[in-house]
Amino acid sequence: MSGQAEGTTTAPAPAGGARATSPARRFRVTTPILLLGGVGLVVLLSAVRIVTGASDITSGGTVAAALGLAVPIGLAALGGLWSERAGVVNIGLEGMMVLGTWFGAWGALQFHSPWAGVVAGAVGGALGGAIHAVATVTFGVDHIISGVAINIVGVGFTQYLSKLVFEKMPGGGTKNSPQLPEMGRLSVTFIDGPLRTLEAKQWFLLSDFAGILRGLTQGVSWFTILAILLVPLSYYILWRTAFGLRLRSCGERPVAAESLGVNVYLYKWAAVVVSGLLAGLGGAFLSIVAAGIYRDGQTGGRGYIGLAAMIFGNWRPGGLAGGAALFGYTDALQLRQGGVSVHALLLVVALLLAAMAVYQLVRQSRTVAALITAGCAALVFVVFMMTDTVPEQFTTFTPHLTTLLVLSLASQRLRMPAADGIPYRRGQTT
Amino acid sequence: MLMAAAACGGNDDSTSTATSEASSSAAPAGAALKVGLAYDIGGRGDGSFNDAAARGLDKAVAELKADKKELEAAAGETDAQKEERLRLLASNGYNPVIAVGFAYSESLKKVAPEFPDVKFAIVDDDAATGANISNLVFAEEQGSFLVGVAAALKSEKGSVGFVGGVDVPLIHKFQAGFEAGAKAVKPDIKLQSKYLTQPPDFGGFNDPAKGKTAAQGMFDSGADVVYQAAGGSGSGVFEAAKAAGAMAVGVDSDQAALPAYADVKDVIITSMIKKIDVAVFDFLKHAADGTVQSGKTVYDLKADGVGYSTTGGKIDDITSKIDEYKQKIISGEITVPSS
Repeated sequence: MSGQAEGTTTAPAPAGGARATSPARRFRVTTPILLLGGVGLVVLLSAVRIVTGASDITSGGTVAAALGLAVPIGLAALGGLWSERAGVVNIGLEGMMVLGTWFGAWGALQFHSPWAGVVAGAVGGALGGAIHAVATVTFGVDHIISGVAINIVGVGFTQYLSKLVFEKMPGGGTKNSPQLPEMGRLSVTFIDGPLRTLEAKQWFLLSDFAGILRGLTQGVSWFTILAILLVPLSYYILWRTAFGLRLRSCGERPVAAESLGVNVYLYKWAAVVVSGLLAGLGGAFLSIVAAGIYRDGQTGGRGYIGLAAMIFGNWRPGGLAGGAALFGYTDALQLRQGGVSVHALLLVVALLLAAMAVYQLVRQSRTVAALITAGCAALVFVVFMMTDTVPEQFTTFTPHLTTLLVLSLASQRLRMPAADGIPYRRGQTT
Repeated sequence: MLMAAAACGGNDDSTSTATSEASSSAAPAGAALKVGLAYDIGGRGDGSFNDAAARGLDKAVAELKADKKELEAAAGETDAQKEERLRLLASNGYNPVIAVGFAYSESLKKVAPEFPDVKFAIVDDDAATGANISNLVFAEEQGSFLVGVAAALKSEKGSVGFVGGVDVPLIHKFQAGFEAGAKAVKPDIKLQSKYLTQPPDFGGFNDPAKGKTAAQGMFDSGADVVYQAAGGSGSGVFEAAKAAGAMAVGVDSDQAALPAYADVKDVIITSMIKKIDVAVFDFLKHAADGTVQSGKTVYDLKADGVGYSTTGGKIDDITSKIDEYKQKIISGEITVPSS
């Protein structure tokens, strides 16, 4: 799904247009390259695991945890994608997620079914999206102001609701719900035993693949599977249907879209409501699956991280999934075996930087850039060699730092929808 | 939410021979005590720290016929909001006013001098001092030592873990005590620890998903008992223990007995109890009698301010051993490190 070039802009784009950016790309990311990169990464991680003895970096537990931590972020990012592709910046994702955590928990408790919670969480989030749509689309309010307002209102509203509802339940309080009913998990049981044995052998590559496979096939919540399926589904709707084409045209050049008969307000409305719905799902995942309980403030800024993951992914479904996965993986590493795993990660970073330096020198002939990259690689390597473990103070922000690093390296190639964040009034001419 | 900050100590001798005369002017004899209580993030019903304070307040309301006003903190609020909360209680005639949690330290320092006739108390903090401030602090390391002993005795794999909510000095006391206790039983025991967030991000006290992941990591790498001092994130640690078929140790309240943890009570072998309820009630009783002392009061093992729980009967076979260590700590034979 990420094998496409830049968003197929519909606007006639006489002034250069989106395609003018493509020469900046050195190569197109195709499926074989992606697969090759993935396998290469596992080989690298495996080698590092053998060298450092940090066995947790490819263990089944880490992969499963990474998946669980990536899903809420990925869903928020997907929400951001829908909204911003239609030209509405949605910084209110965090607030919509908060609504999702509360309504998800409430639905699960009220109807004694986690799936009712999923639906309720989606509806709660969509409600937040609808408020954002009224403000930004119907009344033309600045997108950031409306979004920030939703973040504040979301927290206050759920606190009020908790007081009304959860406080009266046994085990609940003004700040938390009782324990929620558990959601079913999918396990491909017949391969669990062999994979576990293989993983325990600590063989090069084979054990790593066994660990990764085990993490992806054992005890995976059905909600996780739903969330993963939403990524290709979003891609299909936004890039392969007439509806999606019109929706994206509203984010690129709403005036042109309107002149061609697209009801821009309607499409923006739909996009922002879906955006809230997806963020609400992310919140519901957090309370129902990840925590098993609603707690006030449990989103902990994941909505903003989701927004960053979307930008990281260049406003593309495949890219944002990658961003969420990277964040989830590094977060899982630092939470599980912080010092040791993050220390091993330093070696991975050093090797990747060294490889990049070689690439810059040989393929791009950028001597200065290559020297700088090589210098960084050497520096990281020295830090790796000088230390045995990474202090707790640093491990905690590993995910943020990693994301920031990749983002700053890739930022030259990002292209946001042309009319993103610009209020649109029907009848305007430019 | 809870805890922390104690580190800024050094003012042990700020025993400021309190002017408790003033108290009689505020509460005429026979009139009901009007108690104002400001919770930390989490509030009543957090199944931990704030709940313990709430129990002390409820007892005072019942036994001392006190009036109460409770206000709660919000996630991510500023010191100004906390000041306003304390000011609101004090200016509406509530006296004494109790601030639950070290987070109120700075705010109380500012507000207390504005209301010289109001008695203030702050739980878990000895940095805010003044003629009308009582600091109710606990020897968490001593209680944690005892549950460390319990964890080490119960661990079959010889490996235990500690999950702290936020990397602050107060939580270090829990970890230090726990590890010292575990080592006292098995000197070669394998110890793991993890703090969920770094200050000023206090989200680690409120993120069960992170608590769960961290505990899972410890169980996967060989631990079979994990002690949590992570506030609201603790429920995630219990969930992880349940999923892994392992054991967990609770904190602050007798968590196995709380309805909030009914689903996971089987994995909670014991809890380190911090008797905030006792401290709060003691303070209110003194306030009712007009005998409030300002300055620091330490609730340790000797004062029965900390301890461990036996709900569920999971550690009934080893309580005699734990109590041996308890006596040694009380007699001074063992000194528990606090950092």
